[in-house]
Amino acid sequence: MTNHWIDLKNSDVILIMGANPAENHPVSFRWIMKAKDAGAKLICVDPRFTRSASKADVYAPLRSGTDIAFLGGMISYILQNNLYFEEYVRNYTNASYLVNPGFKMPGDLNGLFSGYDPKKRSYDPKAWSFQKNADESVKKDPTLQDPNCVFQLLKRHYSRYTPDMVSRITGTPKEKLLEVYKLYASTGKPDKAGTSMYAMGWTQHTVGTQNIRTMTIIQLLLGNIGIAGGGVNALRGESNVQGSTDHGLLFHILPGYLPVPSADLKDLAAYNEKYTPKSKDPQSANWWQNRPKYITSYLKAIYGAKATKENDFGYAWLPKLDPGMNGSWLMIFDNMIKGKFNGFFAWGQNPACSGTNSTKVRNALAKLDWMVTVNLFDNETASFWKGPGMEPAQVKTEVFLLPAAASFEKEGSISNSGRWAQWRTAAVKPLGQSKADAEIIHELYQKLKALYVKEGGALPEQLTNLTWNYGFKRADGTIRAIDTHLVAKEINGSFLEDVEDKPKLKPGEKPPPTPPPWAPRKLLGKKGELAAGFAQLQADGTTSCGNWIYCQSYNEKGNMMARRVKKDPTGLGLFPEWSWAWPVNRRIIYNRASCDPNGKPYNMKKAVVYWNPNAVLPDGKLGAWVGDVPDGPWPPMANEKEGKKPFIMRADGLAAIFGAGMKDGPFPEHYEPMESPLAKNPMSGQMSNPAAKNFSGTGIKEDAFAANDGKFPLVATTYRVTEHWQTGVMTRNTPWLLELQPRLFVELSPELAKEKSIKNGDMVEVSSARGKVDAVAMVTRRMQPFKIGDKVVHQIGLPYCFGWSTPGVGDAANLLTPTAGDANTMIPETKAFMAAIQRKG
Amino acid sequence: MADAIKAENRKGFLVDTSRCIGCRSCQVACKQWNKMAADKTVEQGSYENPRDLTPALYNRIRFLEVGEEPGGVNWLFLNERCMHCGEAGCMKVCPSPGALYRTKEGVVAYNKEKCISCKYCVSACPFNVPRYDSDDKVSKCHLCLDRLSGGMPPACAKACPTGTLKFGKRSDLIADAQATGKQLYGVNDLGGLGVVYALEGPPERYGLPATPHIPLSIFLWKDVIKPLGILGFWGSIGAMLLHYVTIGPKKIDEAPEKEERHE
Amino acid sequence: MSNYIERFTAGERVLHWIVTASFFTLLLSGLGLFSRLFNGYFTLFGGGGNAIMVHKIAGIVFFFSSLYMFLKHRRDVSTFDEDDRRWIEQRGGYLSREEAHFNIGKYNPGQKLFAIFIAAATLILGVTGLFIWAPTLFPRWIVQLSLMIHGLMFVGTVMFVVVHVYLATIGNPGTIEAMLYGDVRSMWAKRHHPKWYKEASGENP
Repeated sequence: MTNHWIDLKNSDVILIMGANPAENHPVSFRWIMKAKDAGAKLICVDPRFTRSASKADVYAPLRSGTDIAFLGGMISYILQNNLYFEEYVRNYTNASYLVNPGFKMPGDLNGLFSGYDPKKRSYDPKAWSFQKNADESVKKDPTLQDPNCVFQLLKRHYSRYTPDMVSRITGTPKEKLLEVYKLYASTGKPDKAGTSMYAMGWTQHTVGTQNIRTMTIIQLLLGNIGIAGGGVNALRGESNVQGSTDHGLLFHILPGYLPVPSADLKDLAAYNEKYTPKSKDPQSANWWQNRPKYITSYLKAIYGAKATKENDFGYAWLPKLDPGMNGSWLMIFDNMIKGKFNGFFAWGQNPACSGTNSTKVRNALAKLDWMVTVNLFDNETASFWKGPGMEPAQVKTEVFLLPAAASFEKEGSISNSGRWAQWRTAAVKPLGQSKADAEIIHELYQKLKALYVKEGGALPEQLTNLTWNYGFKRADGTIRAIDTHLVAKEINGSFLEDVEDKPKLKPGEKPPPTPPPWAPRKLLGKKGELAAGFAQLQADGTTSCGNWIYCQSYNEKGNMMARRVKKDPTGLGLFPEWSWAWPVNRRIIYNRASCDPNGKPYNMKKAVVYWNPNAVLPDGKLGAWVGDVPDGPWPPMANEKEGKKPFIMRADGLAAIFGAGMKDGPFPEHYEPMESPLAKNPMSGQMSNPAAKNFSGTGIKEDAFAANDGKFPLVATTYRVTEHWQTGVMTRNTPWLLELQPRLFVELSPELAKEKSIKNGDMVEVSSARGKVDAVAMVTRRMQPFKIGDKVVHQIGLPYCFGWSTPGVGDAANLLTPTAGDANTMIPETKAFMAAIQRKG
Repeated sequence: MADAIKAENRKGFLVDTSRCIGCRSCQVACKQWNKMAADKTVEQGSYENPRDLTPALYNRIRFLEVGEEPGGVNWLFLNERCMHCGEAGCMKVCPSPGALYRTKEGVVAYNKEKCISCKYCVSACPFNVPRYDSDDKVSKCHLCLDRLSGGMPPACAKACPTGTLKFGKRSDLIADAQATGKQLYGVNDLGGLGVVYALEGPPERYGLPATPHIPLSIFLWKDVIKPLGILGFWGSIGAMLLHYVTIGPKKIDEAPEKEERHE
Repeated sequence: MSNYIERFTAGERVLHWIVTASFFTLLLSGLGLFSRLFNGYFTLFGGGGNAIMVHKIAGIVFFFSSLYMFLKHRRDVSTFDEDDRRWIEQRGGYLSREEAHFNIGKYNPGQKLFAIFIAAATLILGVTGLFIWAPTLFPRWIVQLSLMIHGLMFVGTVMFVVVHVYLATIGNPGTIEAMLYGDVRSMWAKRHHPKWYKEASGENP
């Protein structure tokens, strides 16, 4: 979330699309209802009429997998009707940038952008470059009139997304489209806020990242980023998935969104060179220029005294990806089924149920020598060898199930979608032999380290050199029990030596004379002190920090995450002293964009921050931001000498309407899902995302596809329900919740039911090219057929929270879903695929 | 019926259906607090489960799909539970003093130890709420009396994320809701329901009786037959005594002559 | 000529007292169920729960014995003749101190009507009692109606029984002996049931 949960109450229009918060984030509706009480309008766009839709002022149905078309139409509507926030777009986005004149778009190239290489299935981003001035700065047209400027290109690109065209793709009635567009575009006024709530309904597509990009462009056009009640808000699906992503959950990022190095970056200097963006623009804060400080502090945190300047702070020990290597979830199982893995830790996860194309996952697990599962309960993964279709005697995989403690049984922080790290104490002791994850990891580490020390092996230093100061140490160096507070302190970071507070020099400025040795030294921090914030981190190895974005969370003032003060000085629900939010307790990120270039809030009634030019700072300087923690202390942009642009994490300080860093095009373009009901993309000759990884025809029998195939004529999607959580391992084992949703069902329209002679409550078989599941038919008016061109397309949906290990609930809906990944993130496309339905018996 | 509630003490719910998202936190929180076992249910093609109140389910959400036209559908959610009626049918018929009783907050509470398992309350409830557990004792929502006595709201209200279930002083809740122009159900019915609804349509749309009342035959039994019956009992005894002293018994004459004279 | 004549056999008497006993058990155990005013009667049975159990058992006994009793006497109580009509027209002479003489058979019309009423009430109370016994097995409206009718029939039955007891005891001295010993005095029989006396003894009264 750019914003946070409570901030929903500040919205004027809330767009729920690709999410179902009433069911999956019910507490968010506390704040949505408060917004509605204050007159806000709620829009819900979903293939199904959900519990969220039941509270919407406007509900619009759309066919699964057509969100870009829907939103592209909105961009077009906003531009055609001049409903965008012109000043915001001009000052805070790259709309004025001039793109090289050779750049071509899908309208010109039948669905492709310039620079596409069909053999590699990828783009050369050089084809999307900006026009440069002699001094390497980008050429701009502040009037936004140049035909090659981003704004005009945007207008041209989305002029193809007419309401008629969009309706033909999405199946949404045209009047509904226009109703949504008109309502949402009303937030383009400076004092209006529109927010977007999305979740897996947007991400789990082969165009997932571009779905979100489309909304981001809308939010930028309407000036909805950085303001109260605005933003692009990802509703995270697990209570701490934000925290685990922050701390390096994904294969390609280290804690704090530092890229995982690839093997061709031989030393830290090469790494820093590649990943530290440069900007000559004095108005750009270019915050990632600090990357060397963060990676060095990270290396110091994990390797401690072993990391020295001489050995590149242990950079060599960091695990590396092969250049261009894709280590994503889909590839893990793709490689596993090809026999490329010996062992596997399924830690707090249930891939045999949650993994798309679960048959492939289950068969892949059978190729392992061993697997360790760490979970609260037995599940489809731990017991995959005795699951449906498995011959236990034939499965060689040795499985270990380690019982883990539940979140209520251990102390630590949980980071919610709004980036709040909230400290929790243990409510009860772990049951039986179950242990907290940290304890299990600790034990594993001790055993492995002992083995490496005794027996050696490949790259022992990666393990033996790790710092492990997580508890009271016995004489032999072992730890009695893991102290979570020490982990939190390591994450926060500390001073390893006394660090002097050296004044920052402006280019050309002379350093002050060296003070005499007897003069008192002005220290930034003393050795052993916890760092107060990431601005104190150093690139020379004098500080350590496990995750720079969490620096400040546990400092000398105490555990900021444990704060529970209910003070709300702005009245906007920022609650700055309730827990702690990364970065530096900022509750709404990019909040400088909520003000005009002079620092005056666009909406005085809901001012997140404002520039007070008369505030006197301790060093005697004038001017300060008031309100939320701003994105840096510098004055607003209008101050030509010291002012900074608001989007500080971007090298140029501006939000990117033109996304030159994307793998599948700088502007989002509608492509059909990998499995589509249509013979042809109504938009262009390019059927599916040209840059998405293609798993068809690789010889793996589990990877079957059925696009535009009469045998599988139904658009299907998967989802969660309030009553079960993820694959249901916890909730299926909670009888109270199984009482509410006792088994797998499939939702379908009365029209489809009639066609297939299915009655409500009948047992049906739902199948796809990859598998089949038995489900109870839920025939409901909440589902409706879509008119796509001349064709009637039926949509069905199933929850994915069930699995065979709970008796009588049915098996995983992910047995149906395909192995297809988004071009940028490789997230699987589980939200739009083709299926068939048939009454049983 | 000695069923007077002081309005200033009366606590209750305001159930604002326009805020309900059908998350059923109320159902689960209730089970958790009251330590009730799960009911075994079967998927029958609806989110609504269990399909009725049970002895171990004090409150539940009714899922009501309305509208037949594609695109014209709506989904309504209604929290169903004991209404804690001001004039409670169950209390009216309960023969065991203290089995069903009124607390000072106006709650229709019960004491299982005093319940004699007659099940009259099952029949007398205008909303078909009371259930009997496996020990054959009455079982229904008691507004978490134990929590109330500790100054806490009932578990369902505490768990409700959207403010659908508002618990508090009944008159305040009603006044607040009326001030916002909400259409209320149950303000005056049956001596005022302890659970007042703000509905978005006519009560029938939610499966609620338009004008809830104690079933007619129960009314006749308790308010007509009972007093008249008692009157009739004593009346008939009185009449017999009167007959004895006025007209007198039919004595048998011992003298046979008299008998014969009759012939 | 004996001074006494047999009116009821031992079997008939025992049956009557079984009906009577079960009736009063029902009455006492049911009073508390009828209204909370009579809650004290539950203590006779050790609480309401027990009272309900007793009520159910007594109900079964009463139901079958009462109906059996009616069936046994159904010939005598279900036919009315010309003398009976005269009896009814003059209310059996109970409303006047004047002596009235009717040529009545074994039972007078009042007794016959009482028997028929009790039989009907037994049926109705029994059937409604069954619905009340297990209310959850039947539609609510049936149980609600049953509760009302059960109460109504109970009231009616009690009122009739009051009259029955009065007439069988102090209202008509000597009557009770028929149920106690089985024999009634000839004088009593000649006085109240001359037609029956004639048939039973063969004499002309």
